[in-house]
Amino acid sequence: MKRLDVQGFKDLANQLRFSLSDEEANDIKNEFDVLIDQMDLLNKIDTEGVEPMVYPFDEETSFLREDVAIQVLPVQEVLKNAPKEKNGFFVTQKVVG
Amino acid sequence: MDITKLKEMKSVQERVDEAVNKSHAYQADLNAMVSFIDPSEQIENLKHIDPQAPFYGVPVVLKDLVNMKGTVTTGSSGILENYVSPYDATITEKLRAAGAIIIGKSSCDTFGMGGTNMTAWTGPVMNPYDLTRMSGGSSGGSAVLVASGVVPMAIGTDTGDSIRKPASYNNIVGLKPTYGRISRYGVIPYASSLDHVGVFTRNVKDAALSLEVLAGRDDKDMTSSQLPVEAYAKLLNSDLEGKRIGIIQNVIDAIQNRETLNLFKDLCDQLTAKGALVQSIHLDEKLMHAFLPTYYIIANAEATANHANLDGLRFGVLHEGNSMEESMIRSRTAGFGKLLKKRFVIGSYALFTENQEEVFRKAQKVRRLIVEDLKRVLCEVDVVIAPASAQGAPKFDDVSIDQLSSEYLIAENYMALANFSGYPSITVPMGYVDGLPVGVNLTSAAFTEQLLLNVALAVEESTGIKDMIKEPKR
Repeated sequence: MKRLDVQGFKDLANQLRFSLSDEEANDIKNEFDVLIDQMDLLNKIDTEGVEPMVYPFDEETSFLREDVAIQVLPVQEVLKNAPKEKNGFFVTQKVVG
Repeated sequence: MDITKLKEMKSVQERVDEAVNKSHAYQADLNAMVSFIDPSEQIENLKHIDPQAPFYGVPVVLKDLVNMKGTVTTGSSGILENYVSPYDATITEKLRAAGAIIIGKSSCDTFGMGGTNMTAWTGPVMNPYDLTRMSGGSSGGSAVLVASGVVPMAIGTDTGDSIRKPASYNNIVGLKPTYGRISRYGVIPYASSLDHVGVFTRNVKDAALSLEVLAGRDDKDMTSSQLPVEAYAKLLNSDLEGKRIGIIQNVIDAIQNRETLNLFKDLCDQLTAKGALVQSIHLDEKLMHAFLPTYYIIANAEATANHANLDGLRFGVLHEGNSMEESMIRSRTAGFGKLLKKRFVIGSYALFTENQEEVFRKAQKVRRLIVEDLKRVLCEVDVVIAPASAQGAPKFDDVSIDQLSSEYLIAENYMALANFSGYPSITVPMGYVDGLPVGVNLTSAAFTEQLLLNVALAVEESTGIKDMIKEPKR
């Protein structure tokens, strides 16, 4: 497994849209060294031919119902939590030129 | 006293007032509440509820991940510090319909991501048995509010052992039912394939009653089960004659503390005397050493995806920048604690294109092997049992344990077994080690909650530890 340096963790955090201080990045790097050793325990296990387990039960729980709205959140209710709103829309900075 | 007796002994106003007063009085010592909810409107609404309803006028607390319309639901995070729920979670609706009075939201590790409750945005939660020790997490606030006698029942969530470990540290019952037994609609997620909703109570009967109220199919949660809900409380029966109980020997071998082992042996002797067939079982040791990394990889990868929507733009606390991207980065940087950032980074690492097969898919494959190993054992016994923790709650500054030791990897983290499998699992008080409570954990096959609760009741009768209340004292 690829080991990352402090800058590697900072870059990764940036892709996740948050920043790490030098202290935070160093802490993560130090803890990651232990974690990588723990992850290596997985490599001792033979998983040849084993299907990944995504959910506890493989049975599907899908079902069909009438195509009618059963619960709707009014726009005004949703927008009450918006930091900025105008005319029923969220307001943010311009993203196109 | 159990909830049924509480309803007989005190009026609605008396029991709600007592709970509200205690929740405020203990806040300085326990720091268990994130927000307090004025109960007067809910008490007024009781006129529409049948007085025979199971939770009629009974004060309860929600973990701060559970939405209740018009109340602040922060997930014990910074970024949702100002978030007001626009709707009720299904379990909130069910509790209200059963007459419960929700008096507040309890502290947890941020978004349920932790095992100490030290990462809550509002600070750590203290253990009422020793205020210098942790409550356990992630549902620590709910656990200590039940343990200290504030409420007889509180909602928790459990992704790795987040109900069952704090229950052990606080001398109470912690039940995590089968995956899909209780709806998760309206509950802020951590890791969708491992998350469960469950309860804390002070006795097994109340846990059974709570499950009856909360369980059932919910079309708003696609993982919710269609199976009918049993009358768990009414059908409780502690008869152990012929019940096969398997001691997880790997856990026993990993525990160093003699007092814990002696307590557990005494309990097993008592269960045998009651007619149970108690035997040792062995899970694959190599797989058990891989529980924690398997859990970390799957849980954090799912969490990274689940929480990508927290950006401060549509809801949450906005820290504005010069562009939309800069606003997102500032909001997430300021609103996420150190541990949360670490977990997201780990999750993202596992999801790197070059790591997906080697790390993420590998963990999912190991998960299947772990579950198949448990299934094998549960063909031989009805229930598996082991101490829920190797000793009592750690001190806040305790970093003594070696994170690659068997005691840490197996004895302190084996309960994730029930999250990998989705099987029901319960912690019940077992006794005291160095003056601190330690619980015992039981797990059974999917949707065998009645069997699990029956054996848990037998454990409770054997230890004689039930309805314990520990008021915090400096």
